[in-house]
Amino acid sequence: MSVPLLDVDGLVVKYGGAVALDGVSLRLETGERVALIGPNGAGKTSLLSAISGLVRPAAGTVRIDGADVTRASPGRMVRLGVSMIPEGRQVFPSLTAEQNLLLGAFGRVARREPVTALLRYAIERGRIMERLDGVYELLPKLRELRERPAGRTSGGEQQMVAIGRALMADPRLLAIDELSLGLAPIVVQDLAVFLRKLNEERGVAILLVEQNAQLAFELCPRAYVLEAGQLRLEGPSAELQRNPLVQTAYLGGGLEVAEAR
Amino acid sequence: MTAFLQYIVTGISDGAAYGLVGIGLVVVFRTTNALNFAQGVYAVVAGMTTSVLVLHMPLVLAAVLAIAIVTTIGGLMGLITIGIRGDTTPLTSLIVTLGLTLIAESCELLIFGDGPHSYAPIANHAWDVGGVLVQPQYVLLLGVTLVVTLGLNLLFRKTIVGNALVAASDSLRAARLVGIDTVTFGVVAFGLAAFLGALGGVLLTPLMPVAYDSDLNIAVNGFAAAAFGGLVSVPGALLGGIVLGMAENLVVGYVNPQYELTIALVIMLALIGWRARHEVSTA
Ligand SMILES: Nc1ncnc2c1ncn2[C@@H]1O[C@H](COP(=O)(O)OP(=O)(O)OP(=O)(O)O)[C@@H](O)[C@H]1O
Ligand SMILES: [Mg+2]
Repeated sequence: MSVPLLDVDGLVVKYGGAVALDGVSLRLETGERVALIGPNGAGKTSLLSAISGLVRPAAGTVRIDGADVTRASPGRMVRLGVSMIPEGRQVFPSLTAEQNLLLGAFGRVARREPVTALLRYAIERGRIMERLDGVYELLPKLRELRERPAGRTSGGEQQMVAIGRALMADPRLLAIDELSLGLAPIVVQDLAVFLRKLNEERGVAILLVEQNAQLAFELCPRAYVLEAGQLRLEGPSAELQRNPLVQTAYLGGGLEVAEAR
Repeated sequence: MTAFLQYIVTGISDGAAYGLVGIGLVVVFRTTNALNFAQGVYAVVAGMTTSVLVLHMPLVLAAVLAIAIVTTIGGLMGLITIGIRGDTTPLTSLIVTLGLTLIAESCELLIFGDGPHSYAPIANHAWDVGGVLVQPQYVLLLGVTLVVTLGLNLLFRKTIVGNALVAASDSLRAARLVGIDTVTFGVVAFGLAAFLGALGGVLLTPLMPVAYDSDLNIAVNGFAAAAFGGLVSVPGALLGGIVLGMAENLVVGYVNPQYELTIALVIMLALIGWRARHEVSTA
């Protein structure tokens, strides 16, 4: 059996005494697209935060290519090829779109303090500029926005900046926390098409956290359902979609029942 | 008229030092969202340390050594203020740095005593420009400040490290996620701020002796200067410092020396009030 790209085993996250994640195990193969759905407060963001090194798990392991990286720093995870697009996008509002993108690359070359970081960045500059052109080719809209402070762009444009920033680190796995949050359906559709292309043509694996289960099932062939810090269901999206529990809780089945009455 | 011009010239020189202190506040605020109450301490400790060291070595060496010591202290204060998570709010940072300031004052009192400290300026003569006395120290102070302002402005606007520093205050979470070591960057920002404060202190002390409790005065002037640029603009802080320096010298000369600190406080409060209104109305 092949070693999965990401292998999460029995992960526990606590905030103070409160358990947000209670022994979650999840796998993702190289080049795969996997969705994680669940209601508010289920622990989706906590799971991504623990994987990306933002919060320290209380127990459990995270492996990349079989290597234990459970308490690695966020910077180390980026250098290992795991990039995250945080909930609410979190662009750097006072910096231009292009500066946002370049920081995505800076984070990958920089280590610890600023002086050597500056040197490493200067050495890698040629390659970083090439990658910037690559990102502009993938997301041409960003080229138009390059001089604009990211705080003065629309929600959809900010999501593009956030995706572009993550791509600047040349990731093998892109973890996205709520792609559709606060965006118009048409914008979400475009982004979904883009992500599918990115995955199919470049082999970037995608871990998509979503409230919009419909979107998650359409984009990802496989999915996990997280509730109250524990995995409830997992399997091919096509199967989950037919599951009555999923239909009631996540696909508006409950609404239909209510209407039928 | 001569008196008036003299106040202006002295004011520009004092104001350059306030500007340096204010720029230190801006650097820390822009990178860590922390308000550093201890910013005045750096100037005082640097001035006092130089005044002692200069008895044993050349002035330039004493000044460089003092600045290096204070820069290190500043970095350590940064580590204490932002903590190991690199996470702070303006209010908590203000309280922590206020505490550090009180500790620093006690240490200064123990090490340097309670008297004022000073030393000779780089040159003792003064140029007579149409009756207005211009000391070489004024020119040095203003020159150094201008160079530093230009350099920092370039750093923040044009370099990736400057962008990374700003990014850490824009979104700490995202800065960490792209791989920026925000704690180290925050400590470096505090060190840089201490360096600027120390530079201002070393250059100003020959003109304005410092005592262990001078830091409050310097910090308030620095805050007022920084408030000109809304706490985020490096050139704004320099401009603010110079306007403030001139206003204070005019008031001290024509009205009453006791109002010096009051002027700074009034200007700062007026600016903060004006900004608050302005920002609400444009939001
Ligand atoms: N920083 C924190 N401190 C304390 N508790 C937290 C913190 N972050 C999250 N929690 C708690 O942990 C639980 C899981 O939160 P999490 O943000 O991971 O859920 P989520 O599935 O991402 O929710 P949403 O869909 O609303 O984004 C919740 O009960 C939440 O209140
Ligand atoms: Mg969440």
